[in-house]
Amino acid sequence: MNVHFKMTDKMRMQVIADLERPHRFAAERLGFFRCRVSWAKSELLVLVSRYQPIPDEQYVNDTSAGCFFDENTMRTMLQHSLTNHESIFHVHLHDHLGMPNFSRIDLRESAQYVPDFWHVTPDLPHGTLVLSRNKAAGLCWYPGSRKVFEIARITAVGPQIRKLGKRP
Amino acid sequence: MNSRYSRQSFLGSDSQEVLAGCSVGIVGLGGGGSHIAQQLAYIGVGNITLFDPDEMDWPNLNRTVGATTLDAQKRTPKVEVAKRIIKAANENVSVTPLCGTWQEHFEYFRACDIVFGCIDGLLPRKMLEETCRRALIPLIDIGMDVHLGNPYTISGQVIVSIPGEPCLRCMQFIRDTDTAKEESKYGHAGGTPQVIWPNGALASTAVGLFMQMVTPWCRNQERSFFLGYDGNAMTFERDQRFGLVAGVVCPHFGQDDLGDPFWTPQWQEPIEQKNPTRFDRMKKWLGALLQHRK
Repeated sequence: MNVHFKMTDKMRMQVIADLERPHRFAAERLGFFRCRVSWAKSELLVLVSRYQPIPDEQYVNDTSAGCFFDENTMRTMLQHSLTNHESIFHVHLHDHLGMPNFSRIDLRESAQYVPDFWHVTPDLPHGTLVLSRNKAAGLCWYPGSRKVFEIARITAVGPQIRKLGKRP
Repeated sequence: MNSRYSRQSFLGSDSQEVLAGCSVGIVGLGGGGSHIAQQLAYIGVGNITLFDPDEMDWPNLNRTVGATTLDAQKRTPKVEVAKRIIKAANENVSVTPLCGTWQEHFEYFRACDIVFGCIDGLLPRKMLEETCRRALIPLIDIGMDVHLGNPYTISGQVIVSIPGEPCLRCMQFIRDTDTAKEESKYGHAGGTPQVIWPNGALASTAVGLFMQMVTPWCRNQERSFFLGYDGNAMTFERDQRFGLVAGVVCPHFGQDDLGDPFWTPQWQEPIEQKNPTRFDRMKKWLGALLQHRK
């Protein structure tokens, strides 16, 4: 089984436009994808339905990383996941062209809060994504497995089919 | 680049790699679908999944590319005929022929990057588009009809329906009143009239639009798109109804109408390629030996 993450290209552009806005003190911005899931042959399809930006006041003034969000953000996203039975994928932007990579801090922090979504929706996959201007990479926490899986394919569907992930 | 594709290198330096990684579904392997299947094979699309429950029959022989008299006699499934022409054109294409409706093979359907809809009727089209939208799959719909008159009028359409953009209902191609009475109105020239040349024109245009989506070699990228075909004047024209809805947010498919509402996790680990151990190799060898002795 592989994971295929899909969104509309319109959504991708909307997310990039939101994430590239400067913040008063945070060095970067974060957001969340709210997703639905489906099976496709041997693939797990993760389909983005909505994007949830983080309000300015929910960033924590901490210089040890690009930015941190506060507990209200987490509470809101847990509520969305529970109420709407949605997979939650955290997203941030690395402002360059080409394949982005997760930093050590990205990996450490994601490993702490992504599995928390299983407290409300233990049967759904959750994860994290990093976008660049034209590519993306992602990790998925699959229910029932404690391992983290690299998202094999990330596609933006629009007038052009953009293969953002690993495979062409 | 493989010399097989040297004449289409203008599509981009990585175009063949992109096309080889593409999974395309074709729903309906009649006059339109068979043309599309053959063209996609020549272009070098890597994975083609075919959906059609029908078998070849005598009335199909006037327009189905690759169909023979023997196929009509033997009632060969249409998907098998299409597979044969794809493999004849390009043996490197991975073909999945599914002799059944696309609803019977949802999991294969959802794995497609783009779907060509080459089916009759408005209601099936509506259902096909709904399924495509639910899995964020762009749909390229083609169809033609012959209308009663003096002379007969051939008309058709190529419509690109992209998730998040205006749909077939937004473009007024499908109206609820029409779906109800379509069966009584459809096809005035005896049976369901179909001829090969409009099918070919519509299929080629659809493949051109597909190429623009996958390997955008020219910059005029369209969003959802509605081209009307006049088979008497032999012209394509952008349908005026599309102009009214271009850029409008589709009210028919909500943002939440995605995925599988009854999704449950399959408790299986993602497949990871591991190198076979000495024990695995011995097990395989013993299995083969026992098979041979039987």
